[in-house]
Amino acid sequence: MSFIPGIPVPIGGIEKALGKLWEESGESKTRASLINLAIYNEKPGSLERNTETIRGIAGEHAMRAILIEADPKAEGSSADAWITMHCYLRGAKGGSVCSEQICFQLAGLAARSLQSVVFSHLDSDLPLVLWWQADFRPPIDGKLWRWVDRLLFDSRHWKNPKEQFGLIRQIAGLAEARTVLCDLNWARSLPVRQALAAIFDIPGNLSELQLLRKLELDYAHGSRTTALLLLGWLADRLGWSLSNTSANPEFRDAHGDIVSVELKEAEGASISRMNLISENAEFHLLRESGSDLYVTTAQGTSIAPTSRMVCAPREETREILLAELSRGGRHPLYLRAVTAVQALWV
Amino acid sequence: MPSPIVNPLREGIANRISPEPCTLVIFGATGDLTHRKLIPALYNLAAEGALPPALTIIGFARREKTSEQFRKELEESTRKFSRTPLNEELWAQFASSIIYHQSPFDQAEGYTTLAKQMDEADHNRGTAGNRLYYLAVAPDQFPVILSHLRESGLSTANPGSWARVIVEKPFGKDLKSAQLLNTLVSEVFPECDTYRIDHYLGKETAQNIMVMRFANSIFESLWDSNHISHVQITAVEPLGVEGRAGYYDTSGAMRDMIQNHLLQLLTLTAMEPPTSLSADAIRDEKVKVLRSLRPLRGDDVFNHVVRAQYTAGLINGQPVPGYREADGVPKDSTTETFVALQVNIDNWRWAGVPFFIRTAKRMPKGGTEIAITFKSVPPVLFNRSGEGLDENVLVIRIQPDEGISLRMSAKMPGSSLRIEPVKMDFHYGTSFGKATPEAYERLLLDAMSGDATLFARRDEVEEAWAFVDGIEEAWKTRSDDLAFHTAGSWGPAEAAELAARHGVTWRRM
Repeated sequence: MSFIPGIPVPIGGIEKALGKLWEESGESKTRASLINLAIYNEKPGSLERNTETIRGIAGEHAMRAILIEADPKAEGSSADAWITMHCYLRGAKGGSVCSEQICFQLAGLAARSLQSVVFSHLDSDLPLVLWWQADFRPPIDGKLWRWVDRLLFDSRHWKNPKEQFGLIRQIAGLAEARTVLCDLNWARSLPVRQALAAIFDIPGNLSELQLLRKLELDYAHGSRTTALLLLGWLADRLGWSLSNTSANPEFRDAHGDIVSVELKEAEGASISRMNLISENAEFHLLRESGSDLYVTTAQGTSIAPTSRMVCAPREETREILLAELSRGGRHPLYLRAVTAVQALWV
Repeated sequence: MPSPIVNPLREGIANRISPEPCTLVIFGATGDLTHRKLIPALYNLAAEGALPPALTIIGFARREKTSEQFRKELEESTRKFSRTPLNEELWAQFASSIIYHQSPFDQAEGYTTLAKQMDEADHNRGTAGNRLYYLAVAPDQFPVILSHLRESGLSTANPGSWARVIVEKPFGKDLKSAQLLNTLVSEVFPECDTYRIDHYLGKETAQNIMVMRFANSIFESLWDSNHISHVQITAVEPLGVEGRAGYYDTSGAMRDMIQNHLLQLLTLTAMEPPTSLSADAIRDEKVKVLRSLRPLRGDDVFNHVVRAQYTAGLINGQPVPGYREADGVPKDSTTETFVALQVNIDNWRWAGVPFFIRTAKRMPKGGTEIAITFKSVPPVLFNRSGEGLDENVLVIRIQPDEGISLRMSAKMPGSSLRIEPVKMDFHYGTSFGKATPEAYERLLLDAMSGDATLFARRDEVEEAWAFVDGIEEAWKTRSDDLAFHTAGSWGPAEAAELAARHGVTWRRM
C-alpha cells in the first residue's frame, strides 16, 4: 500500500515502541488520553481514511486510537502493526498535546481473533469506544461486547436495516453487556430534534402537538434511515402507533385519529425540511441548501407566530463524531424510536 | 397551582432544565457589562439553540438612541467579545429580538411604556408573561428601579408566569448596606426570584470543585483536619486598577474580591456534602461554612490580616506606576490592593486547619487557585532523616489553564534512594479541547430556567459581609498597618510572616 500508517512495529512490542516514541519526542509534547477509540473496518484503504478522521478529532478529544483494517475471510493468518501520534499546539507556551495511534492490518485467523490481538493494547482504566464500520454479523458474541463501553455505528450505511437493527437489539439485550449504543445516524438527527423540541417549548404551541394530522419530511438521498429514526422518535414521544406501512405511512395518535406522513427524497442536508401540520397551526423546519442554519417557524389561528434560527452543525463525520464523544450519556429513546417504526425497516 | 405541561419532545434532548420563554430587560443596557459580557453570552446561547424560544431582550437605558443604533453597537461589541465568530444571518435573527427602550430610571412613564412593550412581546412573540430583569447598573440605582418596578406592577407576574431579578455585585459595601439592599429587593421580589450573580460561580472549574469532591471517593475521605495541614486560596492578577479607580478606591481588595469571589471558593472547598443537588441544599451548606468562620475583630485582625498597596515597579519588564499614581486615585489613598488573611473554620471537620486567602493586583502573574496541602507522613521510614519530604498538594486551578494537579513523592531512578516531588497534572484544555462556555452563558441560562444553585442567597451575602465588616472596622482604627510592596513582587514581607507563623510559605504560582 502507498499509505504508510506510521512506524512499523512487531505486535508484541507495541507498548515498548510507544514508550520509546514518547521518550524521543521530548518534554514539549504532552501525552493525553480520555478514551480508547477503536475503529473496525473491513474495507481496503480504511486505515488511511480513518487516520484522517482521527487527525481531525484528536485535537479536540485526546485519545488512544486503535485502527483496525480486517479481512476475516482471508485464508491463513497475518497481523501487522504501526504506531504514530497526532500532536497539536496548545496554549501560549508552545507545547503540544498528543494522542497516540496504533494501526492494525489483520487477515484470516488474526482478524477473527480481534479480542486477543487488539484489546490487549487498550490504555487501561480508560473507557473503550468501539466504532464498528462494518455490518454486524450473527451470532452476536457476548465476550466481545463485554469490553465495550460505547459502541458507535452508523445505520445510514446499512443495506439491510431490518437485519442490522435486529442484531443491535440483541447486543443491547446481552446480559453481560453494559454497552451504550451510539448510532451516528441518531446523533445526526439531534440538531433537528433539538430545533423541533424548541418550537414546542412555547406553551401555546405545545397543545398543538396532540393535534398533529400531517407530517411532511424531506431527506437527502441515502438518508431514509435518518428520516425514519426521526419519525420513530416523534411517534414514540407522541404515542402514535403505525397503522399503514406504505412508502408514505400513517399512524394513529393517542385518540385514534390518523396522522399521515409524506416522506420525500430531496437535495440538501440529510433532513432539509419538516412540516408538522395540526388542526390549527403549522410548524416548519427548514435548512436551505448550503446553509448552516435551521430556521423554524410557527403560525396558525391559535398561536402567536414565531420564527427562530439555530446553528446547524456541518454533517461531516468529524463533527458528528465529536458531538457524540462530547455529549456522553446514554440514549434512552433510541431503541424506542427504532421500535416505533419497526415495520418500516426493510 | 397546576403542574406545568411537559414538552414530550424535550426528554432525552438535554440534561438540563429547559429555559422558559421570557422577556429579558437589561437596566444599564448601554454599559460595559452589557456589551462585553451579556449580549455576547446571549448570542452564543442563541447560536447553540440553547435560548428559550421567543426570548425578547429589552435594553433599558437613559441615552437617546434607536433600536437600530443599539443593535448596531451591540453587533460591533459582540464581534469583538464573543467567544465564537459572528454569523451575519444568525446575528440578524438574534438582533431582531432586541429592542432599545430609552428612559431615565426615575420616570414612571418609562415603566408604563416598558409594560406595553412586554405585553406586545407576550402577544407577538409568545414570551408568556415571564420577565427577567437584569440590574446591570451601579447599586445606587437599584432603589429607584426596584421601586418603579413595584409601583408599575411589573415585579408581579401573572398567574402561571414568573418575574425574576438578577442583581450584579457589589451586593452592598458592608453588612448594613447589604441588608438594606436585600430588604429593598425582597420588598419587590421574593428571595426565590432573586438571583445574585457572582460570575466566579459560573466558571467551569468552580463548578467542578463539588464534582471533584463528591463524585470521587478518594478525595472526600481525606478532606478534613486529620489529613489536611492547610489550605491556600489565591486570586491575583498583574493588572492595576485599569480605569476602575473611582470604584476601586472606595472598595479595595477586601470588598472587591474577598467578600464575594474568594469566600465563595472557600465555602465550596470547605462545605459538607449537601443532602441533594438542589439550590437550597447546596447553599445551606455554604452558609454553614460562613457561620463557622471564626470572627476577626479588634487586634485579632492585625494578627490575621495583612493589607498592602503596590508601589511603582516592573511587570513583564515594563515599568508600571504605583497605585497612588494611577489616574483617579488620591495621592494619599490607603485603599488596599493586596490582602492576605488567615482564617479558621470552627467546625468538626476543619478545627485546627488554617485557611490562607490572598488576593492582589500587580503581581508578577495572574491566576486563581485553591491549594490543599496534606499533612506530612510520619517521621519514620522515608521521612526519618527529619529533612522532611514535600507534602502532597492538590491544586485546583480556577483560571487560567483550568485543571487539577497533585504533587506527590517518587523515588528517582538509580541505585541510591533519592525521593523527589513529582506532579500529576490534569488540564481541561488538554483533555477537553473544546472551548468552555463563558460564565455568563451558564448563569443567564440558569436564571431563565429558575435554577439558583450558582447564585448567592441573601444569607450567604450577609454572612460574608458580617465577617468582612469585622476586619474593615478594625482597619478604620489605625492606618499604620498598611504595608507596601513593589509592583511585580509577590507581596509584602508582612504577608510572608503571617504565613510563616503557621509554618507555611505562600505558594509560588
